[in-house]
Amino acid sequence: MSYTDAFFYFFAALTVGSALVVTFSRSVIYAAFALLFTFLGVAGLYVLLQADFLAVAQIMVYVGGILILLLFGVMLTTRVTNAEITTGTVQGLPATVVVGILLGTLILLVSRATWNVQESLPDVTGTTTEIGERLLTTFLLPFEIAGILLLVAIMGAAMIARSTDKTKEAA
Amino acid sequence: MSGYFTDIKDGIWTVLVGMTITWKHMFVKKVTIQYPDVKRELPDRVRNRLYVNMDDCIGCDQCAKACPVNCITIETLKALPTDDLGSTSTGNKKRLWMPVFDIDIAKCCYCGLCVFPCPTECIEMTDVFEFSEYHRKDLVYHFGTMTPEEITVKRAEVEEYQREQDAKKAAAAAAAAAAKKAEADAAAAAKASEAANIPPDTTAPVS
Amino acid sequence: MESLLTSILGTNLLTTVIYCALPLVFVLTYALIAVLGEVKISAWMQDRLGPMRTGPWGIIQPLADVLKLLQKEDITPSASDKFLFNLAPFVTFMGSYAAFAAVPFSSQYIGASLDLGIFYVFAVGSIGVVGLMMAGWSSNNKYSMYGAMRSVAQIVSYEVPAAMALMIIVIYTGTLNLQDIIVAQGGGIWNWFVFGGPKADVVLASGRELQASWANLVFLPLFLATFVMYYVSALAETNRTPFDIPEAESELVSGYHTEYSGMKFAMFFMAEYANMFLVSVVASIAFFGGWQSPYGTTIGALVGVPWLSPVEEFLWLAFKGFFFVFVMIWLRWTLPRLRVDQLMYMCWKVLIPFSFGIALVVGFLVMIM
Ligand code: SF4
Ligand code: SF4
Repeated sequence: MSYTDAFFYFFAALTVGSALVVTFSRSVIYAAFALLFTFLGVAGLYVLLQADFLAVAQIMVYVGGILILLLFGVMLTTRVTNAEITTGTVQGLPATVVVGILLGTLILLVSRATWNVQESLPDVTGTTTEIGERLLTTFLLPFEIAGILLLVAIMGAAMIARSTDKTKEAA
Repeated sequence: MSGYFTDIKDGIWTVLVGMTITWKHMFVKKVTIQYPDVKRELPDRVRNRLYVNMDDCIGCDQCAKACPVNCITIETLKALPTDDLGSTSTGNKKRLWMPVFDIDIAKCCYCGLCVFPCPTECIEMTDVFEFSEYHRKDLVYHFGTMTPEEITVKRAEVEEYQREQDAKKAAAAAAAAAAKKAEADAAAAAKASEAANIPPDTTAPVS
Repeated sequence: MESLLTSILGTNLLTTVIYCALPLVFVLTYALIAVLGEVKISAWMQDRLGPMRTGPWGIIQPLADVLKLLQKEDITPSASDKFLFNLAPFVTFMGSYAAFAAVPFSSQYIGASLDLGIFYVFAVGSIGVVGLMMAGWSSNNKYSMYGAMRSVAQIVSYEVPAAMALMIIVIYTGTLNLQDIIVAQGGGIWNWFVFGGPKADVVLASGRELQASWANLVFLPLFLATFVMYYVSALAETNRTPFDIPEAESELVSGYHTEYSGMKFAMFFMAEYANMFLVSVVASIAFFGGWQSPYGTTIGALVGVPWLSPVEEFLWLAFKGFFFVFVMIWLRWTLPRLRVDQLMYMCWKVLIPFSFGIALVVGFLVMIM
């Protein structure tokens, strides 16, 4: 087993293990913190696949943005110093049905898909330039649309969060 | 809007001004005194540790009475007429032995009230301020100059003398009483004899 | 550097480990010096002498402090969340230390010459932020909690202008690679980005050619402003005065590490100092030529001693890093603490609009020039 293999199993175990904690932990906080390790594990797997830009973007977006927001959300909506932020099981039956359908679809997809398997990794050094060029040429339209979508979302959030009290605004 | 830009300008400018000031202070002569190595000169009338010059103390107990926290303990013994304790530098004659002269400096509040009433100016405040100890009992200063043996001997002597004096006094008192009685008896006899020839309205004063 | 190590030890795990641990050695030494600098400079600026009794002029005071921290009892509060409480310092330190992997200490030593450079440094920084959150929450202490929330809110906000400021340099150089950014500033002090960037064509480490001429002087005011913005954001990101609201002693005891003691406290402390140095180094790389000397060449190259050049380059980078750390300390003893609303005003209404504006102008200029 080479180092790469060892790293792969390490990251895979990290990802799956912490993902299980996320799912089964009764404490929302624990679930959120375990998510950190899931993201790190996934980033590690990306690195092993030589997708360095994706790995770093994964950390930047998910750890630096989403996870922090999630934690803030949890901590601001519950009593901050209360350690007992827990989750319970509600709506058991519908959830089982939905998850079952999803799982079935995924398994079907995974087994049916034709995987592009390669014996060894292509020798890629740095994907940044490539990604940048593709984004601004071939995929310019989707890129711009995604940008506009996010902008609209931000503006919408700001509109909703904005105080409607005109007197307060004037002050 | 112009306020916005002037604020930014002021912000940057004042930070620079502040930084110049702190920069200059880096090279200013430092005020720190490296204490145990360098000691600051104390003012003339500092009030720190007490000192009692026992050669001059006459054991008058004035200082102990003046102390607001009762940290001075003095015990005295009257000197025998045969003892010569010498006299103080101010010329007062010393008349008391002092088996105990303790100052509990841990309790002292350095008010200096004990210093003023001393008739011989032998209790004073020095400029010594470094006298910490590991045990509190070490902060009780014993100024008494007598050794324990001396104290016991002296106590016995004084008691002996006292007893003698008491005995003498008792004897004297008895003698005096006897004399008085005799006198009284004589007076009574005289009165009685007088009463015989003097009219009853001229009463003599009774002593 | 790597080849040197390999030639001594051969290609094995040990070489890799040593190679990875080199920045750690540097960061630890640096932290000792920085701690001493902090106490001494603060003392001098307040007309005091500072520690004087441990060694001549107190220079081994930080070592004494480390010994003290090592001996201290390691307290885990009984009401804390033990697991997360113990994990948090490591996560935070990991976040700070991981960033050093992409920092080019000299032209020869860089942990990983990533094409992603700056992007990577920013991304791993956010892991440390989660560590802060963990520390604050698991301490089960309101001061820790508020400290962590403030800290994280501040870091997340100021990441935007900091990233935008560096983005301006990236727009100009067209690369995220830190080594390339440094190479672009070679050839003398006037080629540094604070002074408007290269004035003549340069070939980057990646082989790409960057066209430049003296007309680049138009960038001078823009890049200078960018540097100031980056430095201000960096101060805020490292929770240094005047942005030390998360640790405001007078209100919050000491922020998220209130409950920590002993070595775990030392880990946070180290992480903070490592972060300070990291942002200083990034500032010197992006604006002050990184390991480039101000006269454009090295003494080693002049006298023909090849091994001297990397050492010199490293010393230049360390010197620049230390200088910016010194400025941080200097500012700390100059300015009072901002209010939270002033902090947010500064970020969202001053730094961010300006950074976007400058980015637009620079982008436009790069396009037409
Ligand atoms: S200084 Fe004051 S407190 Fe101290 S012994 Fe004298 S009278 Fe008492
Ligand atoms: S007042 Fe002076 S002389 Fe009198 S007992 Fe005190 S120290 Fe001695």
